[in-house]
Amino acid sequence: MKKVLLTALLFLILTVLAACGGNEDSNSDGAETATDEANTDATLNVAYPTNLQTMDPHLTTNQSTRDVSRQIYEQLLTLNEQYEVVPSLAESYEVSEDGLTYTFDLREGVLFHNGEEMQAEDVVASMEKWMETSTQGMANLAGAEFIEVDTYTVELHIDEASLIIPYVLADTAPFPAIVPKESVESAGDTGLEEYIGTGPFQLEEWTADQHIHLTRFEDYESTDDDASGLAGKKEALVKDIYFNIVPDASTRVAGVTTGEYDIAVDIPLDNADQVESADDVNAFYSDGGISAFVYNNQSGPFSDIKLREAFNTAFNAEEAMTAAYSNDNFFELDPGLALPDQVNWHSTAGEEQYNQGDIEAATQLVEESDYNGEEITILSTRDYPDHYSLSIVAQEVLETIGVNTTLDIYDWPTVQEIRTEPENFDIFPMTFAVRPTLHQLPFLDSKAAYPGWSDSEEIDQLLEDITRQSSFEEAYPYVEELQQEVWNYLPVTKIGNQQELVAVSSDVDGYSDLIGPILWNVSKSE
Amino acid sequence: MLKYTIQRLLQLIPIFFVVAVVVFFLAHLTPGDPVTVLLGDEASAEAKAELRHELGFDLPLYTQFTQWISDVFRGDLGESFFLNQPVTEVFFNYLGPTISLAIYAQFIAIVLSLLFGVIAARRRGTVADQAVTGFSLLGISVPSFLVGLFLILLFAVQLQWFPVAGYQPLSEGLLEHIRYLTLPAIALGMMQAGLITRMTRSSMLDVMKTNYIKTAKSKGLRENKITYKHALRNAFIPILTVIGESFGTLITGAAVVETVFNIPGIGQLIVNSIERRDFTVIQGTVLLITVTYVLINLIVDLLYGAVDPRIRLNKKK
Repeated sequence: MKKVLLTALLFLILTVLAACGGNEDSNSDGAETATDEANTDATLNVAYPTNLQTMDPHLTTNQSTRDVSRQIYEQLLTLNEQYEVVPSLAESYEVSEDGLTYTFDLREGVLFHNGEEMQAEDVVASMEKWMETSTQGMANLAGAEFIEVDTYTVELHIDEASLIIPYVLADTAPFPAIVPKESVESAGDTGLEEYIGTGPFQLEEWTADQHIHLTRFEDYESTDDDASGLAGKKEALVKDIYFNIVPDASTRVAGVTTGEYDIAVDIPLDNADQVESADDVNAFYSDGGISAFVYNNQSGPFSDIKLREAFNTAFNAEEAMTAAYSNDNFFELDPGLALPDQVNWHSTAGEEQYNQGDIEAATQLVEESDYNGEEITILSTRDYPDHYSLSIVAQEVLETIGVNTTLDIYDWPTVQEIRTEPENFDIFPMTFAVRPTLHQLPFLDSKAAYPGWSDSEEIDQLLEDITRQSSFEEAYPYVEELQQEVWNYLPVTKIGNQQELVAVSSDVDGYSDLIGPILWNVSKSE
Repeated sequence: MLKYTIQRLLQLIPIFFVVAVVVFFLAHLTPGDPVTVLLGDEASAEAKAELRHELGFDLPLYTQFTQWISDVFRGDLGESFFLNQPVTEVFFNYLGPTISLAIYAQFIAIVLSLLFGVIAARRRGTVADQAVTGFSLLGISVPSFLVGLFLILLFAVQLQWFPVAGYQPLSEGLLEHIRYLTLPAIALGMMQAGLITRMTRSSMLDVMKTNYIKTAKSKGLRENKITYKHALRNAFIPILTVIGESFGTLITGAAVVETVFNIPGIGQLIVNSIERRDFTVIQGTVLLITVTYVLINLIVDLLYGAVDPRIRLNKKK
């Protein structure tokens, strides 16, 4: 027993020593202030909530792949902070008069992380892979072809002119990253197996479920244009970036508070007060996308438009958004399918059908519908607290207007699978990331066969009409008509635009966000 | 002893097979599609079907099972298509942090519980006894994640003595290793400490009533010698059983603490694999955990003989 106690005492001393050792580090981190000069050898520690399933940006719409990959790879075209399409790896691009040929002049002297220069053959190989494997490529560029004209010129040949092609090429997930031709050739069933891009940071190490370590790419060739959104001048102002996978939100908050992490992504809005009141931490809010209820339009009670109208009429968007996102600082009530900043796509058409909260009229619509008292299944998950809160609100609203409900709660992967069968649900809440065009919202086009199975000839036709216009000025009346038609047909009920909270240490300067974190042009003071 | 050990190892085969069947069908029949997880929520049905075919997930379930089980009996647990690594390699990569954490947590639990259990038994009915009973009740009842969050708040956020989360391998230095593991080990060890303290107390009380202890007392032996040399050693068999079982639990069930403290151990591997429906890793890890659990219990059984010479496994009476 004495030996055990002695060992314990020794261990205690070791532990105290360890704690003291760590304390010096944390104090020195914590003492840094924003007024100090930027340290070009600094390490940026990012607390990130979800694991990466793949580092192949062609393959997936997953947010985690998008957020990490954009630091490593670049694409021909990208989005500026007004969500406009601008060249990135392309120096410039031209569209032929018939709209069937896009010519991209590539920037010369752009190096991959393996030291090779990016040339037309790499672009062609990358874009072909992206067109074959990505949802966006398959949906919007079927039959299209990329051709190498010379070392620094490629052409895209398409069968039908479409206004949205540049937006599709500038999409953020799955994004058409340009990688070396050899990487494309060595890719397997589950995508790229080597991760070489042209971005300001290169992959140093990917330890699954733990961290992704990026380092500055010293030979990065930036444009001189002003930085704007994902476009313009990019500088790697820190030497290393660690995306630490920290699934627990309270650990992310605690970590950024103590200075262990410099940036903590996806902080629950309930913690906003805590972040805002913390010393040496700033709250950064960014556009989180749109929230909506998706109906099962194919079968069940909501296949009856009258019942969809009833729910939509009864629904009070403000109450629902407050329940899901804490208070009105963190959301915006807006009937548009695009964000107000997306000037070519945003419309308020149909606003009189939005956020009505008219229970009396809704009850009348239920009576006019074919609804016979059957139970409505609301499918949801607790993995995303906002989804769960919205489901509770939906249940109350439906019960109030005389519709019986049941709430089916599963983990997220189960929800994803269950909702692929029409007999499994009637309605589910969903948040959609900001997309460059309305066409990329998966619930509109019947061909996308997104759960809910919207099947409106008018919507399909209007989506096509937009693509056939030669300019956004010409297209805008169709955008307005489309939005109105969405409110008439109700494939979904739009709820609002939500924000996302990122906690940023005051040591960090220049952090910005456009459909995900932007870590170039970000410095850390010492 | 050797015969007994071989018998116990042979018993592993049917256990292994039953676990393999159950875990395979449980994993595959639970809703959730690894292809959707990989390709993302908005991937088209066409893209999903194509990848499903390439990965062989469109084959009938019994075909997938026979392929997998025949590979398992050849020693190949398969490969994770998310991690692009063989399952055994993945398992052993994640085992290190878990073993470090389990040993540290068990160490804390044993030291605290032996100390408190013996004190409570020797001072039965006093305030010290009641305090120890309260401590063990608290340890058993308070969930480890709550203890973990409390420890983070106090020792990491307020006092900043320890890091909030994360893990540093032993190769980064012993002090760093301990610094990162201290809070999770306390959070994890508290529950085990509660269990072992209770067992120590009750087992010691039983032994203290026996005649040989009374004889020892009447011979005038020192109280400490009686307690630690004679009573504790004889009371140790049930305590050892609880320690053995709890060590198995620590190795295999630290998922919550590993998640809160972000430690890349077996618990977190299982949680992550379930989230991404990484079937081969779920199946392989559960099988390897089964083996680990059975082996730990076997070692505990073999240790009985070392602790109490009266116990001789397989010895004819």
